[in-house]
Amino acid sequence: MWLGLWLTVIGITAGVLIGLNMPVVLPHAYAKYLSVAALAALDSVFGGLRAAMEEHFDNTIFITGFFSNALLAAGLAFIGERLGIDLYLAAVVAFGVRLFQNLAIIRRHLLKK
Amino acid sequence: MALNRITYFYITIFAVVVGLMLALQFRTASSRDLSVPLDRAQELTIEKKQLEKDVNQLQEEATDLESKLEEAVKSHAGAAGALESELYKIKLYAGLLPVVGPGVEVGLDSTPGAGMRYGDHEGYIIKDEDLLKVLNDLRGAGSEAIAVNGQRILATSEVRLAGNHINVNLTRLSSPYKIIAIGNPGTLKSSLELKGGLVEYLSEQGALVSVETKEQIRVPAYDGPLRLEYARPAQK
Repeated sequence: MWLGLWLTVIGITAGVLIGLNMPVVLPHAYAKYLSVAALAALDSVFGGLRAAMEEHFDNTIFITGFFSNALLAAGLAFIGERLGIDLYLAAVVAFGVRLFQNLAIIRRHLLKK
Repeated sequence: MALNRITYFYITIFAVVVGLMLALQFRTASSRDLSVPLDRAQELTIEKKQLEKDVNQLQEEATDLESKLEEAVKSHAGAAGALESELYKIKLYAGLLPVVGPGVEVGLDSTPGAGMRYGDHEGYIIKDEDLLKVLNDLRGAGSEAIAVNGQRILATSEVRLAGNHINVNLTRLSSPYKIIAIGNPGTLKSSLELKGGLVEYLSEQGALVSVETKEQIRVPAYDGPLRLEYARPAQK
């Protein structure tokens, strides 16, 4: 259980290190979409971690969830911008709430042992 | 446990991806503060396009003006040429240029000693009146340029007796007088030699008069000072 959490933290840290050292800089126009997509992806990862702890982890669901969440969030931001509504806020709120829920559940699983 | 391992493997991989995204986002967001914001960039792009358009317009204008300037320079050269030819013509009319052409040469000589007899005649001194009569006659006969002893007769030239001399253009002339006139030689000569005309009259008076037609004579230019002290161009 702890291993899963540590692996996640290490993975994120490694990703951040790689990202910081990569010479690629995204255009500012895409920053908004990437931000909500990153939030969705973060939520997916924590959701996957939680599923793994509850031992009903499904690879397919995890991967499709990861991509569909990220794409949906970015798509919402994109459509919202076209329509003049801050639709990305919906993604931010929804995934933010889920993030906290997932973290709470993971915490409970970890502390139960 | 095998399932668990795969699970954690995937989670780790996606955690790396998420970290990557976060880092990219972080960098983008932080670099946004350093560089110009998006709408500012758009604004500047629009401005740049506008300025490029302006530059194009101004360049067109510049080429247009350049061609106009060229034309103006050309026409200026033309105008200068026209002015010069006009000036030349006016100088020619005014008698400031030497001219050549066919004409007559009139010789007038006094015979010394008034009161002395020379054959049938007494001696005779040419007076300004005689000279003026000859000049007038020549003018009346259509002469275009006249000079007396090398003094070009202008519109302002005087012919005035001064003692034994005659002043023309403030220059003292003395007998014999040689009058050259450009014009139709036949007309000039016959005008002078008319029956009862000047030549006859002067010869009767005792002067020595000769009239010769010339194919080519040269009438010199007036070379004295030109003054207009009182006359001013009138306003039209």
